[in-house]
Amino acid sequence: MSTTPLSFQDMILALEHYWADQGCTVMQPYDSEVGAGTFHTATLLRSLGPAAWRTCYPQPCRRPADGRYGENPNRMQHYYQFQVVLKPSPADSQELYLGSLTAIGLDPAEHDVRFVEDDWESPTLGAWGLGWEVWMDGMEVTQFTYFQQVGGIEVDPVPVEIAYGLERIAMYAQQVDSVYDLVWSWLPDGTAIKYGDVFLENEREFSAYNFEVADVPMMRQKFDDYERECHACLDRKLPLPGYDCVMKCSHAFNLLDSRGALSAVERANYILRVRTLAKACCESYLAEVASKSDAEKKEVA
Amino acid sequence: MADKKDFLLEIGTEEMPSAPLSNAVAQLGKLVDEGLDELGLSHGKVRIISTPRRLAALVADVACATEERNESRRGPAARIAFDAEGNPTKAALGFARKQGVNAEQLRRHVDADGNEYVFAEIHEESRPAEPLLTQLCEHIISHLEWPNYRSQRWGSEHVSFVRPVRWICALLGSEVIDVTYGDVTSSNTTRGHRVLGAGEHVVAEPKLYEDVLRSACVLGEEERTAVIRKGIAQIEAERGGAHVDTPRATFQEVVNLCEWPSVIVGKFDEEFLAVPHEIICESMLSNQRYFPIYDKNGKLTCEFVVVSNADPRCAATVIDGNERVVRARLDDAKFFYDEDLKVPMDEFVERLSQVVFQEKLGSMRQKVERMEALALAAAHQLDANEELAQKAQRAAHLAKADLVSQAVIEFTSQQGVMGGYYAEAAGEPVDIADAIREHYRPRFAGDKLPSGVVGQLVALADKIDTACGMFAIGEPPTGSADPFAVRRAAIGVIAILKVLPKLELRKLIHCALSSLAAQGISFDVAEVETDVVKFFAGRLAAMAKKDGIAPDTIDAVSAVGVIDPAEFFARAHALDEARSSQPELFDDLAVAYARAAHLADKNLGIEVDETLLTESESVLLQACCEGEQNVEKALASGDYEGACRSLAALREPIDRFFDDVLVMDEDTKLRENRLRLLNRFANVFADVADIGVLSRKR
Repeated sequence: MSTTPLSFQDMILALEHYWADQGCTVMQPYDSEVGAGTFHTATLLRSLGPAAWRTCYPQPCRRPADGRYGENPNRMQHYYQFQVVLKPSPADSQELYLGSLTAIGLDPAEHDVRFVEDDWESPTLGAWGLGWEVWMDGMEVTQFTYFQQVGGIEVDPVPVEIAYGLERIAMYAQQVDSVYDLVWSWLPDGTAIKYGDVFLENEREFSAYNFEVADVPMMRQKFDDYERECHACLDRKLPLPGYDCVMKCSHAFNLLDSRGALSAVERANYILRVRTLAKACCESYLAEVASKSDAEKKEVA
Repeated sequence: MADKKDFLLEIGTEEMPSAPLSNAVAQLGKLVDEGLDELGLSHGKVRIISTPRRLAALVADVACATEERNESRRGPAARIAFDAEGNPTKAALGFARKQGVNAEQLRRHVDADGNEYVFAEIHEESRPAEPLLTQLCEHIISHLEWPNYRSQRWGSEHVSFVRPVRWICALLGSEVIDVTYGDVTSSNTTRGHRVLGAGEHVVAEPKLYEDVLRSACVLGEEERTAVIRKGIAQIEAERGGAHVDTPRATFQEVVNLCEWPSVIVGKFDEEFLAVPHEIICESMLSNQRYFPIYDKNGKLTCEFVVVSNADPRCAATVIDGNERVVRARLDDAKFFYDEDLKVPMDEFVERLSQVVFQEKLGSMRQKVERMEALALAAAHQLDANEELAQKAQRAAHLAKADLVSQAVIEFTSQQGVMGGYYAEAAGEPVDIADAIREHYRPRFAGDKLPSGVVGQLVALADKIDTACGMFAIGEPPTGSADPFAVRRAAIGVIAILKVLPKLELRKLIHCALSSLAAQGISFDVAEVETDVVKFFAGRLAAMAKKDGIAPDTIDAVSAVGVIDPAEFFARAHALDEARSSQPELFDDLAVAYARAAHLADKNLGIEVDETLLTESESVLLQACCEGEQNVEKALASGDYEGACRSLAALREPIDRFFDDVLVMDEDTKLRENRLRLLNRFANVFADVADIGVLSRKR
């Protein structure tokens, strides 16, 4: 690591360029609160059906219960993943991934890169896959997963999902011990804009909100309302707005959880409700969109 | 004789997880060996070479073709094989079919024994090995199993494997064997280490396979193991008698996480040694697969062993990265631990009211209250002194406190362990700290028990409360669902009661159920009590069966209603031994007992009118009187062998009685007196075992 490490934003840009060169459609984050890059329609719904698809995008993720008021150097309730989906998974997907590390200045030949078994399962999405967490010099930097099922449906062809933990990788590349010390970008006069400048206040306020303020009855109501709305959308064969509601439900659930408002049984019950909705959306998407030709889709519209 | 060449099948994959890989290694040798035999291809030794990215079988001296076969097989005698008209009979047709020839092709001639038989001449052409090996390789790849694991699909393929297959190298001598699996077709190339020997490497022939791997920085499992062991030995030697802890499972995983291992040492700051060592070691072993280093006095040091798969020239970078990871983890752990130490344990206990134990059984705080009552009651049952009783109660009070500590929330498997540290730091007596630390024991059948009585009492209270609680709310364990591990709890209870034989399980169950009822959980105490007792009896029976005691012996002892483990096992063993030393006697006794029990009319009582007795009856009565006394004495002193001996002594008198006496005499007075005598006889057995059960199977 003799050269100057990339800034946080340069790392994102480098990944976008690298994967764009591999034929990925560069997307933007989903514009609603999500718990992981997988929730984005560009990953979850596009995994269904026979059509080939490649995409990449950064995705801010919200995990309300992980907030630490900006006091923990590694943990935040809002952080970034960089998400890549290649469908069908190519024979050289691992090599492409290793190439992307070089692209962000972490040459695998100079590090100890390992693929360590880590199978993935999301009960809320009715999805599972096999793969690894990728370690670089002992640090987990990426989740690498061959999806097998999404929304309870076998995927065919099989997509591979590559999810980079951007802050961790950047912290390692920039050799800093606190996420807030990461250089995000540079002002023209050479002043560094740090991750803390961009997000520390956000972490403090949202930690307080997530743990202390979020209105519990309102969140319960929100969940119920969006659940109903989701069904209404699906009744009209509109899986995309329906799925949008699933993410609203999921976030309301996460806030109820961070507020400590849920008993174990209630918690399991909410998860089940989200899964039921997610499954229904996936089934609807597959039936109405993913398995139809463009001509058929126009007829529907 | 056909030529012989070495054979290689290498299945190249993306990184396979360690456990299924080890399992596949074991299967592969067998599949290859048996497969070649079945195809009729003679061969030498089969060797398996594996890394996370490949599973290979190397076979010496495989025949390049099957042997041509000419064989004459003898069938039935000619006189059976053909009828009077000279047509083949069913016997001949059947034989021909079995041998795969037409009946017309059967020959007949005289064999060495002078008789005439029919013969089938079998001729099998020699077949070249290549297509057979193609078939075998494809069969093997698709038939490796992944027990306790899932296999996956990839790309647009519909085949599956534990991880995607990326290349196949299959050779017989220098010839490529055509093998196809999904989107992969075989060639004569393998692939090297990802960065040290990247890309494809030609394997000119199987003999050279391992050399090619080595030159591409890939070592087979044995070699990797040896390299790592050697590296560790050197590290130990350099540190004068230091010891590197390499638990088997973690070590195996480490071996299967690299292709070109180099063993390096990392270090964390001394200050972290203040963190409980269990947490440090868990972080290192389970999370990071590092091996902790202990000095020659057995003290944990701040150094640890990392096995790297990188270019050894990058060691400094690799160490730096790994040290960062440890630092971040230990930083967290130390912060949590220090914060936890600032909180009085009793406050943690109060916070347990926020932790749900089980929806219907209330909070952990409520469970603790019940455990306290039960531990105290158990201590009193032991006639423990008041100090010990108070300690048991205190330890039960504090046992679950650490569940709300930050360290345990982060490192869940250290529950109990952390509580022990907090208790010590708070100045609680050593036996209380030990009790907290060890009260989850035994965690499985055969696990160590808590080392002291206080810990045993707390463990007992915890487990009995869980078992009784689940029964009380109508959710006893079923074949498919036992979310609170009630079965394991019962095994733990039984193991502990074996060393505390003074305790009476029935009373403890009653006490536990009373506590549950007192907290407002509504259920039918008597009914649940019966169910819990039955459940424990079932566990005891299952354990006795595992001990090798005959099922009917177990039934005979269970029927008496004993559920205190020490007594149960002593009785079962005594009866089992008595039976196996005198099988005939006990079989006979069982039949007699069953006969007596069958005739008996309980309402008549056991008072026998001695004036009405014949000699055989008097002898039996006398034997019963002695039996009663002996059994009583034996049971009182826990001498179950003695009790069995006393029962055995009844055999002769009862046999003689049944031989000499007609029980169902027409004279009511005589008949009833004899039935009373039989009642009396059966009664001798009542407290020892239901001997009648032993006769049932015959």
